[in-house]
Amino acid sequence: MSEKLLLLNDLHSFADALIKSGFSVVAPSKGPGPSRFRRIGSASELLMPDVNTEIPPKEHLFPPTEPLLFFRFHGTDVELLDPPLPAEETVFLGLRPCDAAGIALLDAVFLADPKDSFYEARRSKTTLVSVACTKVGENCFCSAVGLSPHSRTGSDVLLIPVEGGFLTEAVTEKGRTLLEKHSGLFQPTDASTPKPPEVPRSAAPEGLDKDFAELFAAPYWQDAAKRCLGCGACASVCPTCHCFDIVDDSGARGGVRLRCWDACGLELFTRHASGHNPRPNQPARFRQRLLHKFAYSRKSLGRPLCVGCGRCVDTCPVGMDIYEVAVLMSQGV
Amino acid sequence: MENAYKPHLVTIESIRDETPDVRTLRLAFRDPEVAESFTFRAGQFAEYSVFGEGECVFCIASPPTRHGYVECSFKLMGKVTSALRDMEVGDVIGFRGPYGNWFPIEEFFGHNMLFIGGGIGMAPVRSILLNCLDLRDQFREITILNGARSVADIVYKEEVAEWQKRPDITCVCTVDPGGEDPSWTGEIGFIPTVLEKMAPSAEDTYAVLCGPPIMIKLTLQVLEKLGFPPERVYTTLENKMKCGFGKCGRCNVGPVYVCKDGPVFTAAQLQQLPPDF
Amino acid sequence: MADTWEPRIVAFVCNWCTYAGADLAGTSRRTYAPNVRIVRLPCSGRIDPRFILRALEMGADGVLVSGCHPGDCHYTKGNYYARRRYIVFNSLLDFLGIEPDRVRFAWVSAAEGGKWAELVDLTVQAVRALGPLKLFSQEASLPPELEPIEPQKPQSTAPDPRQELALRQTAREMLASGEVELVVGYGRTSFGKVVPFFASSPEQAEELVWNDMCVHNLTTYLTGERPAATGKVAVVVKGCDARAAVGLIQEGQLDRERVKLIGMECHGVQSECGQVADKCTACEVTTPHLCDVLIASDGSVWKTNEAASTPTRFPASDALRSEVQRIASLPREQRLAFWRSELSRCVRCYACRAVCPLCYCQTCAADRTRPQYVTPGCDWRGAFSWGVTRALHVAGRCVGCGECVRACPQGIRLDILQAFLADVVARELGYVAGTNPEALPPLSTFRPDDRQDFIL
Repeated sequence: MSEKLLLLNDLHSFADALIKSGFSVVAPSKGPGPSRFRRIGSASELLMPDVNTEIPPKEHLFPPTEPLLFFRFHGTDVELLDPPLPAEETVFLGLRPCDAAGIALLDAVFLADPKDSFYEARRSKTTLVSVACTKVGENCFCSAVGLSPHSRTGSDVLLIPVEGGFLTEAVTEKGRTLLEKHSGLFQPTDASTPKPPEVPRSAAPEGLDKDFAELFAAPYWQDAAKRCLGCGACASVCPTCHCFDIVDDSGARGGVRLRCWDACGLELFTRHASGHNPRPNQPARFRQRLLHKFAYSRKSLGRPLCVGCGRCVDTCPVGMDIYEVAVLMSQGV
Repeated sequence: MENAYKPHLVTIESIRDETPDVRTLRLAFRDPEVAESFTFRAGQFAEYSVFGEGECVFCIASPPTRHGYVECSFKLMGKVTSALRDMEVGDVIGFRGPYGNWFPIEEFFGHNMLFIGGGIGMAPVRSILLNCLDLRDQFREITILNGARSVADIVYKEEVAEWQKRPDITCVCTVDPGGEDPSWTGEIGFIPTVLEKMAPSAEDTYAVLCGPPIMIKLTLQVLEKLGFPPERVYTTLENKMKCGFGKCGRCNVGPVYVCKDGPVFTAAQLQQLPPDF
Repeated sequence: MADTWEPRIVAFVCNWCTYAGADLAGTSRRTYAPNVRIVRLPCSGRIDPRFILRALEMGADGVLVSGCHPGDCHYTKGNYYARRRYIVFNSLLDFLGIEPDRVRFAWVSAAEGGKWAELVDLTVQAVRALGPLKLFSQEASLPPELEPIEPQKPQSTAPDPRQELALRQTAREMLASGEVELVVGYGRTSFGKVVPFFASSPEQAEELVWNDMCVHNLTTYLTGERPAATGKVAVVVKGCDARAAVGLIQEGQLDRERVKLIGMECHGVQSECGQVADKCTACEVTTPHLCDVLIASDGSVWKTNEAASTPTRFPASDALRSEVQRIASLPREQRLAFWRSELSRCVRCYACRAVCPLCYCQTCAADRTRPQYVTPGCDWRGAFSWGVTRALHVAGRCVGCGECVRACPQGIRLDILQAFLADVVARELGYVAGTNPEALPPLSTFRPDDRQDFIL
């Protein structure tokens, strides 16, 4: 799709150049709590993790809480006000290919009709510059879901680490435009593209095109879900989980309608006001998570709703392993 | 800015209490342009807002053939419905919609129609039923089976009485055993039982049914017994919803979202779905 | 436009004393500042700290809480319970960096119309001096740069393999004899990770493991809809876990006839990098003080069901204690900046709640919508609402097992918050959680001489 160039220096000079050009640069950086993407003020704040950040960059496109609407009461009358839309040109720098693919999946959800203006406002102004992986995390399994440590899906630019810098590839027009703006940093090269590292956890969960009824009725859910505590930690660190709640918070004069992250693992997620809950126990909820990610989404989106980053496995307090269960599903045991 | 989450403002034009816990609201759009241009199809639903309390989902209970207003019927259940119950004529609420798919009424033209509604499930049925009645000569025989727990729980009592008077409709009413009162002249029995007794002909007939999950399940079995092919049996599902248009991830039954791929499903489609509702 | 800000104060008052006192101020034609909105409750004991927090979250600049004088409560004891609650609450607000003068407590009797009027005037004056509450509206300031306080963390060592063998044998016997139907212990996934494991047959008991990666607190499976909430079960417990079991017994959630505790002598479990976990570095419960069977380090098996006869003081780890003290001694703005930086990472995933053995409420306060008990959202205001509410609900009950911090995907320092509160409860209320199954939970009792110097 494009000729490869060699980025002379490391990521830092690119980061500084982007900041200087007026971009808001969001990259893995130092700060309190787990490693995550933050807006950086200078390249000195950049801190590329060995494998991946603990928290994915989705919070910069789809924040944990966001106002959808403001309302003011005037007697029995109501006035509705739109929240301001974010408007900065942004570069996500230092994404791993799995996270870029995750954003492509979020695009499929939020940009579908009727499009979500809030997500779209951020997304349309964001360019994704990914850095391919040279190492594989303990819980990674991108190869099992049709990706690889060098995937280009979702990225605008892919940087592949080589001796002396990065092989730079413009994956999209948007990416090419960005590189051309900073062409001084890049030089032609005939270096060869290294092979991606092996991902041990890569037994592709084939057979997940199985009949839903068969997967749904399988006997292993009770056991597989037994230790699941029903929190939403896995969903919160997942690059593709996008379930949300809409809730009003107001006083006597007015208030706000908020969109907040939610998770299908939580008991109240599908509970009707009548008390009826289609997923009344944890095995049913855990089954929903797995089927949604690996079976239903193959039908609705054409691919799994999982990018194999392994963060859910890292984070789960009781060691639930979505890859392990996906293999179980494909084996039909 | 186009804000898909922003409702239209509607005024409560009139309130009718159908039963002790079911109320019908007639709503008019405040914005005359919206009032003029708003269209929908029978079977679709909307998200109704009480600002400060939240939103909840009801079908649009009036038919698209009647202009200038929309109606919804709801049962007192939780936070938002309680707040709705406290509202009066003239109050303003929000209306987001129409969402979802609809009954393919054009397919029904020229056929016999069988409408079955249980309790508050009569509300989505009413939309398509009135739509058909407003276009009466497009259909052959129209049969209605309306059931409720008790006489007091029958919704749309006045309309049902009218339907029963019309010579071009067969309208049967039933209450659950024990739900009758001394003046009750209708049937006594659960809907599936009464339906079996009525034994309407399946030939050239489309069935539309809605009601509590257990009633749907058992009635579907009776319809199958009576020879209704599952492609000609329509129902509407409900599920807990938030966004109403397929983004919040909540209302899925297997691979389909009730809000986007439903709420109208044929029995044949339901058979393909896992029992996750 | 001139600055016309007037403090908005919400007052939660008891019906019998303070409300009557306020009434008296009115009938006596006492004039006083009009800034207060009164919310009347039957008793100061009914005043949930959540009301106070919600008032602040909804824009009040200050809150006044008042009830009958100790000894005069219309319901005899309500205000004594309230007083204890306020000790904890007041300390917590201060620790979080919120100006103490914004929330004031008082005793005002029905005859003290004058006191009520003075109290209101003083409160309004104090809040006016502080300015409007900008807790949620102002931009976050940078949190203080704090070097991590590393405890001395030796490399973790695996226990003697005889312990695991003894555990398997014990479990096997219990299952085979029908003494229990389920043993909740630890096992390995197909990738070798140590996770909670449920053995329901003697054969499955062979898969139980015991090593220094057995970090989870398994007592969390004993309540609610969890797998060990019903039926005859045995749970493998370390010393810290057993303390949680004690807490559950105190609160009537653990039937000793149904649940057997298999105690394991434990000399520390691993954190992620192979070192001993922080919580283990100052642990004094290497042997659980409450269990039915004790498996010692050398694999010997002891039948015992005795708790320690005197409650032992289990200090939070020294490193954790140092962190608590360090935060407490920061200037107020920096304290607030620190807690804002920590708590606003919250995404309301409720992992903390899910892992905690003592968070067993059928419907959590955060899930109540009628009323909206806890402010929704994971912005700073919503995160504050949840974080502080949970801290208060667990205060005096938390046994310091550290699971909440381990589970939190955002690494929020819930341990510092809970260790601080545990110290307040120990110091002021003379109580340490998880030591004595006979003890009354601290907020379900009171002493006539409980501290009240902060109450006007």
